[in-house]
Amino acid sequence: MSIYWHLPIMIIIISLVYSATRYDQWGMILREAFRWGLRMVSFLVMIAVVLVVLSFFI
Amino acid sequence: MTTTDRQDQRPHEYSFFAALLSYLVPGMGQIYQGRIGKGLLFFFSLYGMFFYGWWLGDKSNVYLPHGDSIVVLGKRIDEPWASIGHRPQFAGQFWMGVCVWPAIVQYRFPEKAGFLRGYQRAPSEEELNRLQKNGDKLWDLAWVYTVVAGVLNILVIYDAFAGPVFQLEPQKPEWAPV
Repeated sequence: MSIYWHLPIMIIIISLVYSATRYDQWGMILREAFRWGLRMVSFLVMIAVVLVVLSFFI
Repeated sequence: MTTTDRQDQRPHEYSFFAALLSYLVPGMGQIYQGRIGKGLLFFFSLYGMFFYGWWLGDKSNVYLPHGDSIVVLGKRIDEPWASIGHRPQFAGQFWMGVCVWPAIVQYRFPEKAGFLRGYQRAPSEEELNRLQKNGDKLWDLAWVYTVVAGVLNILVIYDAFAGPVFQLEPQKPEWAPV
């Protein structure tokens, strides 16, 4: 199994815990956690795309 | 507006005791303050992440090793602080509270740590080489989980101490007597 399968657990927990330290209201916590999760996934996908593109040329 | 919403709008008072509880066991300070849901979220998330990483790392990535003195910025640093230099991951793991104290007991009182049965004991050089050479980088990924859990608990401790970063302003009543 690829080690990357362990990544979603980390993304979900970091998003939830970080957001819960920002707000006390569950609605706000979940909304903020979703936003942070999306930001982290977008960032990782961006890095992956850059690496894949580079691998074609190098 | 529900009763819970009104309670959420009360400003949090600084609480060193709640912060200490959240250091000892993640989320315990919030539970003590009556923020039970959040406390349980912190407890299960952080313990889940920490022990998941510990388990992925062959249960041998939380420890404090003995080692020689180190030199930082021209200054000689001896044990026990030098041990953090040999294993900087422990500086992050430390914030998980009591669940990493066995590592400190193993380091400080190895002769009295028999009751821990090797739990959080520093692995031998051969064992470390085996873990790092024969794996698929999972051992290296695993300690990241334990360190991230510890670092997140610093935020949880601060939340217990001073409340969440963004607190709602108390709403003024629409009608107030003059």
